[in-house]
Amino acid sequence: MPLTGTRDLSEIADTAPLLASLETEEWELKGAQHLQLHYELGGDREALLPPALHPSIPPTLLVNVTQVPDSEVGAFTFATVRVGCRAGARPRGLLVRGYCDSAAAASVLRERWGLPLEVADVELDPSYARATTSVTVDGTCVLAGELVDPQPITGADVQYMATLALARVARDGEETLLLQVDPDYTFDRAQRGRARLTAFEAEAWNLPGASASHPISASLTTVDMTLPRLRYLIHPDKDPLSAVERLPQPQPA
Amino acid sequence: MKFGVFFEISVPRPWGPETEYTVYQNCLEQARVADELGFDQAWAVEHHFLEEYSHCSAPEIFLTAIAMQTKQIRVGHGIVTCVPELNSPIRAAKRGAVLDLVSGGRLEFGTGRSATWTELGGFGANPDETKKTWDEYVRVIPKMWTQDRFSWQGRAFSMPERSVLPKPYQKPHPPMWVAVTSVGTEIDAAERGLGSLGLSFGGVGEQAQKIAGYRKRIQSCDPVGEFVNEQVNTVSFLYCHEDDEKGITTGQRMAGTFNYLSEQTLATRQAYPTPSYLSPGLLYQLRQESTSGPEGRVPEGLTIGDPHRVAQAVRRWEEAGVDRINFLLNVHEMVPQEDVLASMRLFAREVMPQFQGDQAAEPAGATAAGGA
Repeated sequence: MPLTGTRDLSEIADTAPLLASLETEEWELKGAQHLQLHYELGGDREALLPPALHPSIPPTLLVNVTQVPDSEVGAFTFATVRVGCRAGARPRGLLVRGYCDSAAAASVLRERWGLPLEVADVELDPSYARATTSVTVDGTCVLAGELVDPQPITGADVQYMATLALARVARDGEETLLLQVDPDYTFDRAQRGRARLTAFEAEAWNLPGASASHPISASLTTVDMTLPRLRYLIHPDKDPLSAVERLPQPQPA
Repeated sequence: MKFGVFFEISVPRPWGPETEYTVYQNCLEQARVADELGFDQAWAVEHHFLEEYSHCSAPEIFLTAIAMQTKQIRVGHGIVTCVPELNSPIRAAKRGAVLDLVSGGRLEFGTGRSATWTELGGFGANPDETKKTWDEYVRVIPKMWTQDRFSWQGRAFSMPERSVLPKPYQKPHPPMWVAVTSVGTEIDAAERGLGSLGLSFGGVGEQAQKIAGYRKRIQSCDPVGEFVNEQVNTVSFLYCHEDDEKGITTGQRMAGTFNYLSEQTLATRQAYPTPSYLSPGLLYQLRQESTSGPEGRVPEGLTIGDPHRVAQAVRRWEEAGVDRINFLLNVHEMVPQEDVLASMRLFAREVMPQFQGDQAAEPAGATAAGGA
């Protein structure tokens, strides 16, 4: 059996969203700019993951910043840092804390998809020569990075990993769970470049000891992104083969 | 139809001082038994850093050990990774030649480019370049083997004129192959006159289409070597048992475990967006085709079950145009060694004779210098 994590996520769940229901509707976000900086992960890979997840070989760190130009709650930008891992045999990214520059958007994303977002200054500035990003929390820069030397590719070349978001769910009592959020993407433009992180404060992302050890790639896409209904969740303390729960879905009419 | 064995050398955790030693010794014993039973080829992968899934990172040494303890079985590099950061083409040619010499002309030379970031990233290789460097390697290596003196100005490497020594025992050179996992690679193989070394474990229908395309295209190929190696190998899991249910159950556990382990690695496409890796590669196909047959049935072409069922699967491959099946005999040491050997013996006794007399898989063009 491959390695599994050792982290007790219930110990850090107090700031995670509390969902009263797992019922939600899709949300389409048109014309979003999506930056991903992909690094190999330094640090104790098992200590960052719960027992339900395997570290990928090698484990990775995924910085994602999404800038939405318009929505029912207006424009917003949110950033996440995830640990690349495996739920059973499937590639996933574990998210335990992220940031959003809009309180209204953060509220929607927390309440409907369990994304553990807090409000902070989040910037994404794409240009022809590079795309830069930064996240500032209470005046402290907790992340800064960029995609350098963008080259055009196609959306078909890009593969995003689904998110497992740390959340609390009120069912039979309050449970700490990981909600799978796997948006659909329709690509309009895609570029690939080199990833460069100039600041990363692991504690601010609730990933103590994590570091970005080796850059793999960076991509910047323009996408129509649809946040889906919740279909799966993971019980973080179970073993990987029994941790996945499939949620009931509405029957087609 | 001929039959071979295929070694990934997966090593389960926990890793004690004897674990890798034991797995290697088991594999060597399987190769000895395969030789005694009349299996035709023993292939070994080249993989790096793939924890538990494959600890076969120096296949040329492992294959040399096999050659030294066997008499007939051919030894196959499945594959040499044709990426400069992993293997110098000059060293690859020389190592192949030496293995061919010490084995008495039994080398099959497989080529490929790796499918994972785990490996390419570990060596600092650029995934955008691997198809190009592979193409360059397969064109220069046969020249190194056959030309007295060789020089090259290329993209992957350059070298002033030297005599690349030693030369292989088989003349003009050993049969060459390419690993076929990505869509279209079978056509790359055909265009260059190379054998098709299918590695996708199952999926007879899909492979039949690829084989048809390969057979058609190779008729008008421009061979990179001195001869056309028109052969199609595929790979499957083997667990043959008198009790059909036990054979199926054990075989499917092997396939499932193999796929589970393979998915723990980081496919190039998952980490590095590039048109050079169009499909998720080996791993996705494995999961889809080899473990989930319709309505819980054994997937077509998966060689597990009792001898009758296994023979049926072999016939299906034969109908699809495959010349040879190479069998993965164990995964993660989940099957005790004595059961692995019993499975091989049962297959050799009950199934192999049904396919004797076929001549489809004769190597084309290469002969041992001191032999026929």
